[in-house]
Amino acid sequence: MSILVLLLAVFFLPLFPASVVFNRLAAASDHLAARVALFVIWPQIGVVLILWGDLAVGPGVIAAWAVLSAILYAFRMLTVREVGRWSAMLASSAWPLAWLYALQAPTAPSLVAFTLALTAAPVLILVVRAALASRLEAAYTGLHGGLARDLPRLSGLIVVTTLAAMALPLFPGFFALLAVLSGATLWVAIGILLTWLLWSWAGARLLEGTVFGPRSGPVAPDLSAFAAWWAALLIGLIVAAGLVWTGGAL
Amino acid sequence: MTLSLGRRLKIRSMVHMAAEPIPNFWPMRTFIHHNPLHGLEELPFPQAVARGEALFHGRGFLRRADYQRWLADGRIDRDSLEASIHSALGEYPTLQSIAGGALVHALLTRRRDPVICQRKVARLDDVAAALAGKTPHAAPDAVNVEALADHLRGEFPPERPFYEALDALYGTRAGETLDELLIKTCLDFFDEGQSAWQMPGREKGLFAAWSRLARRNLRLFLRGLHVQKIVAQADSPEGVIAFILDELGIPEEAWPDLIVRELTHMRGWAGFIRWRSTASHYHWARAYPADLVDFLAIRLVLALALVREHALRWRMPANRTELEALLTECPAECYLRHELFTGAVLPAQAEHVEDVVARGRPDEVATLLSRYIPARRNAESQRQARALDDLAEHAGMPEVFHQLDREHLGRVLKELAAFEQREGMVWLEAMEAGYRRSLLARLRRGSPAPRAKRPFAQLLFCIDVRSERIRRQLETIGDYQTYGIAGFFGVPVSFIALGKGSEDHLCPVVVTPKNLVLEVSTGAEKLDTDLYSSAEHLLHDLKHSVLSPYFTVEAIGLLFGFDLVGKTIAPRAYNRWRHKIENDKPSTRLLVDKLTREQADSVVRALQRVIIVEAIHKEFGIEREAITDSIIRELREAAMENHAGQTQFARDFALSETAESRFIRTLQADYRINRSYAQMQLERLGRIGFSLEEQTYFVAQALRSIGLTEGFSRFVILTGHGSHSHNNPYESALDCGACGGSHGLVSARVLAHMANKPAVRRRIRQQGIHIPDDAWFLPAFHNTTSDQIQLHDLDLLPASHLVYLERLRNGLQAAKRRSAAERVPTLLPEGSPALDPIGAARIAERNTVDWAQVRPEWGLARNAGFIIGRRHLTEASDLEGRAFLHSYDYRLDPRGRLLESILTGPLVVAQWINMEHYFSAVDNERYGSGSKVYHNVACRLGVITGNLSDLRTGLPSQTVLQDGWPYHDPVRLLTLIEAPFEHARAAIEGVAKVRSLVVNGWILVMILDPATDRVYRFVEGEWREEALPDAGHDATDESAAEGAPS
Repeated sequence: MSILVLLLAVFFLPLFPASVVFNRLAAASDHLAARVALFVIWPQIGVVLILWGDLAVGPGVIAAWAVLSAILYAFRMLTVREVGRWSAMLASSAWPLAWLYALQAPTAPSLVAFTLALTAAPVLILVVRAALASRLEAAYTGLHGGLARDLPRLSGLIVVTTLAAMALPLFPGFFALLAVLSGATLWVAIGILLTWLLWSWAGARLLEGTVFGPRSGPVAPDLSAFAAWWAALLIGLIVAAGLVWTGGAL
Repeated sequence: MTLSLGRRLKIRSMVHMAAEPIPNFWPMRTFIHHNPLHGLEELPFPQAVARGEALFHGRGFLRRADYQRWLADGRIDRDSLEASIHSALGEYPTLQSIAGGALVHALLTRRRDPVICQRKVARLDDVAAALAGKTPHAAPDAVNVEALADHLRGEFPPERPFYEALDALYGTRAGETLDELLIKTCLDFFDEGQSAWQMPGREKGLFAAWSRLARRNLRLFLRGLHVQKIVAQADSPEGVIAFILDELGIPEEAWPDLIVRELTHMRGWAGFIRWRSTASHYHWARAYPADLVDFLAIRLVLALALVREHALRWRMPANRTELEALLTECPAECYLRHELFTGAVLPAQAEHVEDVVARGRPDEVATLLSRYIPARRNAESQRQARALDDLAEHAGMPEVFHQLDREHLGRVLKELAAFEQREGMVWLEAMEAGYRRSLLARLRRGSPAPRAKRPFAQLLFCIDVRSERIRRQLETIGDYQTYGIAGFFGVPVSFIALGKGSEDHLCPVVVTPKNLVLEVSTGAEKLDTDLYSSAEHLLHDLKHSVLSPYFTVEAIGLLFGFDLVGKTIAPRAYNRWRHKIENDKPSTRLLVDKLTREQADSVVRALQRVIIVEAIHKEFGIEREAITDSIIRELREAAMENHAGQTQFARDFALSETAESRFIRTLQADYRINRSYAQMQLERLGRIGFSLEEQTYFVAQALRSIGLTEGFSRFVILTGHGSHSHNNPYESALDCGACGGSHGLVSARVLAHMANKPAVRRRIRQQGIHIPDDAWFLPAFHNTTSDQIQLHDLDLLPASHLVYLERLRNGLQAAKRRSAAERVPTLLPEGSPALDPIGAARIAERNTVDWAQVRPEWGLARNAGFIIGRRHLTEASDLEGRAFLHSYDYRLDPRGRLLESILTGPLVVAQWINMEHYFSAVDNERYGSGSKVYHNVACRLGVITGNLSDLRTGLPSQTVLQDGWPYHDPVRLLTLIEAPFEHARAAIEGVAKVRSLVVNGWILVMILDPATDRVYRFVEGEWREEALPDAGHDATDESAAEGAPS
């Protein structure tokens, strides 16, 4: 029974190749709210299943599987240019870490918080994707570069969001990584650090293909000051929640 | 593969010809301003700009948004723009037929983006349909695959580097990788002492040294780049080039164009190598030879290795034959790949296209293509229709394009496209017209009144635009008369500074100096190094060795911390303290006079004797007091093989015959006391100095060229200029362009030395120039960052002049502060509090020592004019530091030779400076060097962006931009010559280079004829009379008379 539950959990807190399902679903809808809902709810189903199941059936296998899944999707992030897919790849790379954290037997709220912390950045990237697509027809890196000069507010949002995706300090992802690293074995820790490194690399490429470089592409309106303030508030709330909830829970 | 000599020469000449458009790049220690399109100056300006765009991918004009902003700010005159539009519109009859004036005006002033959108597949009918609100007729089966293949073949002509085709079809980054590998090679080979470990074998030349290393380069091997197999195919770089181009299947007729493309890829390094290969006096070039053939050969070897590696690993085409086959077999897939990887893909389809080409299934590709092409047609035609509607709306004629039939619409689109092609010239001409009008309005015409008495001091400044402000301030505050002359004062000097072993050419780069000037110490200060200097050298060595930095940081890092804090927190106070503990530069003299044969011989003998004393001390520990002059003389003679038998030295110190002969051989070999070396020294000494005739010529020429032949004051101050700033690789860009990017003080000292010489004065008196005995030529240095003018060689000043020194210093100090008060606010952020002159001067001084300051001064930014004429013309006007001012009195130059020489040297240098600023401002990333913030010094000869880039040429953004917008007004140099029309015209015609620059529109010229009070302008190939504003006329000479001391 436990194994069946865990196999089911593999689809929701996806590990390769079951993560294909999530990625297909993520690509199927173009609606921001639907995607956000998918990103937030889908892994939590997996968390519930994990908590219901018994991880003791094969912790070594699960750890290896999770680390490899995380690294694989982090690698994929380097080649994906569509920002929505990039976000799904980030989620597919981040959520396997929840399995590693679950192996450390945290409390249920901690595991929920941990998964939410890893979900925050992909969700923010989805917001960026929507903002880009509405202005430039598509959110595809490398097609319309150099936004910093003409769209400074949107560029600022992209930069901050990408920093969140790289799990830099203050963002919840950073504390989540610290938590999982603190209880990891050497080889698992190396795998996590490699994943982290690849996120940073992929993030830098994302910025390179959007914010920096010479300006190309059509004229587009920047984020309104109102929208920029809302985005700043949202990010601030996520950071604060990360500090208070995730930080405290860990 | 061994090439015949003829074939090798053919390839060399191809490379030589291909490099013609690439501008030289000089080491930044002596920054030479130059026109980035210098190699295209034989073309008319608009054509050269277009060619430059094709070669270097740089914009030749500002973006429309920049011009629009300036129009809104009033920096572009609306009337001038209207006139410019009106003049351009004559060439577009169809536009005129639909009230094109309003359209074009709206296009330039209201629309930010071009109105003509690129159409690859949409036809005119599609645009017409889109304008009518219909969707273009789409027929999925109408995709012509053959046409696609032809289109792609057109995208990959044989002269296009092959790896670019791979990048465009497969999204590889072979071009980037190739650049990185080549840059690393350049950084290794061209290093001039920055690296602790040098590349081995450099003396054999670039290609030989690199190929030896590359054969054993493990990193290249691990990357799958088997360069050794390629290098082994030929025994010369030319052979390697021929082999590779054959291997890639490039037809020989395409080689020249391909070589141009390859070299212009990295025009910074290519420009440096091009200059270096011809700089015979350059030490590093002599020691480590390299030329563009080597450079190209290495680039092609790496390129072929990359292509082979990609072909092997990813099954990509490895040569043009395979590429042709691919385009023929899979045109649809290639088309979609090309769209995706060149960034031309429809954004909405990008993801789908990426997926399909990644899978590469022919049926999927065909299906996608049949949907993609119509979608593209639709998108292109809709975009074009929207742009036209938007323009029509702005012009207040919303229906104008809807009313046109197909043919008419086609002609309108064609003319709009043509207009947008030349739009930059319309804006440029409008800006230039505005400046021209403002300049003419500021001129004071008419003849100057004679002075009541001689001025207190006369100052000769460089023509540099930065001299204009300080000259104006000096003339305002006191009885000073100023002149403008090229900063090398017309004396080309090759200079060896004290303690240096190499020569610096202190003259425009278009001149090659014949005479050498040597700086020697007066011996007033002890040259021995003290404790502080020794410690400084030790720290320097520790920092620059390979291993020591690892422990130095821990051991003495704190010392650097003090330095860091001092320089950052209180730069002025800290630098004052440093100056107190550091050695002052020793007082020196210049060897300006030619040595006679006897004098030269005596110098060599004296030098040899000093060396022999040192050698005896070093080899035997014998002090000077133990030996006599005759012993030294005898040893010298023995070393020079003029003496046989035992020497007194051997007898006195009981040296055996063997020991004595060994010591003599040591003197000959190690201490270079031998005949051949002495002969070489004599030859070198022969180059030192100027003969009396030469000195007379240069003094007379300098004075006559600026119209100073009478009324000499007590002080004639020759003011060379330069700039002082810290942590600034571009410091020499702020120095004197006329001195080859060096300080102008040496040139001032040289001319002062000549002009103070009684023999010279006697001779020039015979030429009608009477310099009174109490007139003293005094060299001075103008620091353009602080506007400080420091007097030099005061120890030579006659006692009779000393009493006037304080008055002179007061005046200079006051002018400095006033000039700073005018200049410094432009360096501060907008909204900074107003400054008094003392506060402004303090900030300017701080800029000279503040290592965090990225813009110590604006340098020559905003230069726009060059005025050749008497000072009277501009004396009362504020020219805002934008004009080069060369004094010239046509009445002293009946044959026009002086004017020709001004046109040949100073004007050409000013044009280079002007064009350097122009192109750096219009496209700072391509023609300029980008932001200083990301620069790193490379090889001690230039800067690169980040850790790996092409050598950055041009000026940094901090020099020409302010807050991301152009600070420099990019206009062509407007030259105004005050002289009779025929006189000036003949001089311009007489200098072929200047004539070409004028005819091709690189320089704008006006002639102000003082005899007729008319102004003529060269426009569209002919001289036309220009209307003169009334304001400047007859500003009379009363002001001058009033200003004259009573």
